[in-house]
Amino acid sequence: MLKLIKNGKIIDNEQIWIRDNDTAVSSNAIVPLARWLAEREVIGKVAGIWIDAGEGVEQLEGVDLAQFSVIGINFPAFTDGRGFSYARLLRERLNYQGEIRALGDFIPDQQGYLLRVGFNAFQFNDDVDLEKALLLNKSFSVGYQGDAIDPKPMFLRR
Amino acid sequence: MYQYDAIDQQLVNERVAQFRDQTRRYLNQELGEQEFLPLRLQNGLYIQRYAPMLRIAIPYGMLSSDQLRTLAGITRRYDKGYGHFSTRQNLQLNWPKLEDVPDILAELAQVQMHATQTSGNCIRNTTTDQYAGVIADEVVDPRPYCELIRQWSTFHPEFAFLPRKFKIAVNATESSDRAAVQVHDIGLQIKKNDAGEIGFKVIVGGGLGRTPMVGLTINEFVPREDLLTYLDAIIRVYNQKGRRDNKYKARIKILVKAMGIDEFRKLVDAEWSHIRGKESTVPMSEFTRLQSFFTEPNYEALTDNPEVLTAKLADSAGFARWFERNTFAHKKPGYRIVTLSLKKPGQAPGDATAEQMEKGADFADQYSFGELRVSHEQNLVLADVRQDQLVELWEAAKEAGFATPTLGLLTDMICCPGGDFCALANAKSIPIAEQIQETFSDLDYLYDLGDIDLNISGCMNACGHHHVGNIGILGVDKKGEEFYQISMGGSSGHDASIGKILGPSFAQEEISSVIQKLMDVYVSNRTDEERFIDTFRRIGMAPFKEAAYAKVN
Repeated sequence: MLKLIKNGKIIDNEQIWIRDNDTAVSSNAIVPLARWLAEREVIGKVAGIWIDAGEGVEQLEGVDLAQFSVIGINFPAFTDGRGFSYARLLRERLNYQGEIRALGDFIPDQQGYLLRVGFNAFQFNDDVDLEKALLLNKSFSVGYQGDAIDPKPMFLRR
Repeated sequence: MYQYDAIDQQLVNERVAQFRDQTRRYLNQELGEQEFLPLRLQNGLYIQRYAPMLRIAIPYGMLSSDQLRTLAGITRRYDKGYGHFSTRQNLQLNWPKLEDVPDILAELAQVQMHATQTSGNCIRNTTTDQYAGVIADEVVDPRPYCELIRQWSTFHPEFAFLPRKFKIAVNATESSDRAAVQVHDIGLQIKKNDAGEIGFKVIVGGGLGRTPMVGLTINEFVPREDLLTYLDAIIRVYNQKGRRDNKYKARIKILVKAMGIDEFRKLVDAEWSHIRGKESTVPMSEFTRLQSFFTEPNYEALTDNPEVLTAKLADSAGFARWFERNTFAHKKPGYRIVTLSLKKPGQAPGDATAEQMEKGADFADQYSFGELRVSHEQNLVLADVRQDQLVELWEAAKEAGFATPTLGLLTDMICCPGGDFCALANAKSIPIAEQIQETFSDLDYLYDLGDIDLNISGCMNACGHHHVGNIGILGVDKKGEEFYQISMGGSSGHDASIGKILGPSFAQEEISSVIQKLMDVYVSNRTDEERFIDTFRRIGMAPFKEAAYAKVN
């Protein structure tokens, strides 16, 4: 079984990341946001949805996000930083409490920032050594800005 | 100036350790070229034409003498004994070794310096007026606000992978704009409202590069406590909506232009409405804390125009010239702001040798409370010099190669490193600067010409800000040959404008004679009060164009 890093540990990946609109959906699937929005009546229970860069989170306003145990955010390239804002908006604007999982072409060195904007799970591409990636699964010990973990900026904590 | 506490220090120390590990993994080939690229860029490290280039941050241009001495030592031990001060108030080293960079960063950290976010698609070093805090007509000292922005932007977790680089500049005077706020991604003009409260006029979408634009006002007054939430709102919109399919269309100016400022403002206001008033609202205690680092030094009670100064002014034309051009009025009686020019003929504009840096540090200790500033025009500034010590300082500055009395004149050029160093450049820029310095060496003539901004960039990326030079020179590649396009009418102040192209480009050896023709047109058309830019705006491009391209009989 494939593995991922979640909450600072390497664990089995029990969900299936479905990338297209045709593959059959089971209850452990993470399905494309657009597909879920279009087919939610027939699709039934899923583990979660995933958001692609460019889709944004606005379409999720009014949706009960508590039904998802995971929301994935895809990075089509690790230099495409849109997902950083999406995660933050999921946590801070839409008050989503479940797992936010990074998917796609992000890299281990980005985990520090990804953690701070609200990601807690990292499903790396196959070529990434998870033991080595785990060493980078941390932020600097202090930060100036408020973030998804602690909304208080440093000036409220100095 | 700002002093790190344990938290600030811990952050830069952790950053050094992080980059040391990244460099090690890169050299071990654990980290690929593509992955290492943005990581090293966000630590200021480019791979250049002949060697890496390391850009060291000088936040809003403020330097202590100890920091400048450390920089001098670094250039000596890790480079070739000189550095290049850039238009964004930073210092560039042209010849460091990649494997030495972690050690350089560690040495910088010891004097509260770093190279964080001096490059890459993130929020860059915030810049401001080099005369901040010492001029009479500023609304307030902008530096506490610059430091606030520096801390907010440093390792901002959401905005490290923006569509493109992002530059913020702050200005606090009505009379002039030495920070060029209208040609930044965000320009902040500090002002007070009718109730006397401090806030910011926010300008967005200015910038140079391939598509130069003057920014547009998005908000006439953002109260200072709301500044960070407002900046978060703008950049959050840009991060999500800015183009990522074409790097030449990825700056925020393209988004603002495509969307229109009104639509863009709507999105920003909608975003802001969610975060305004929340935790990132800046409390008074933080303004007080930051202001406490920028209090006045122990000025003595002095009077203007001491005898030793007026006597020398009467007696030495050389000194009088330097005083007129290279010094500026200070808010305190008996003091003067002095610019140490880095535009000595024969030296690349903005370059300083290690010896000069050490001299500059000594001058700062001796004459200016141990501090210096770097200016957008690539000079060094001593902000607090006693008028009765100006003669002494002038003598010493002459000896150190700092007293070229041409500030603001034709030969006080802004110039990028160009094709001699930079891998991006189409053409060399330093030899053009040298040619102009050699041709226009007669000081009386330069004085007669008066204020002229001449800016040189070696390519479309416009690091030499050619678009906003009264005269701009741009290096272009024509079938493998280096040519130069001249533009006219640019300006970076409150009257910001983008220059227009004069006509077909010129060969390198023609540049000085073309500039001479442009000067001749100016001199024969100007009225008594007109600066070069004023005459240009009145008579337009046509007479200049005619002269520049006239066939020799």
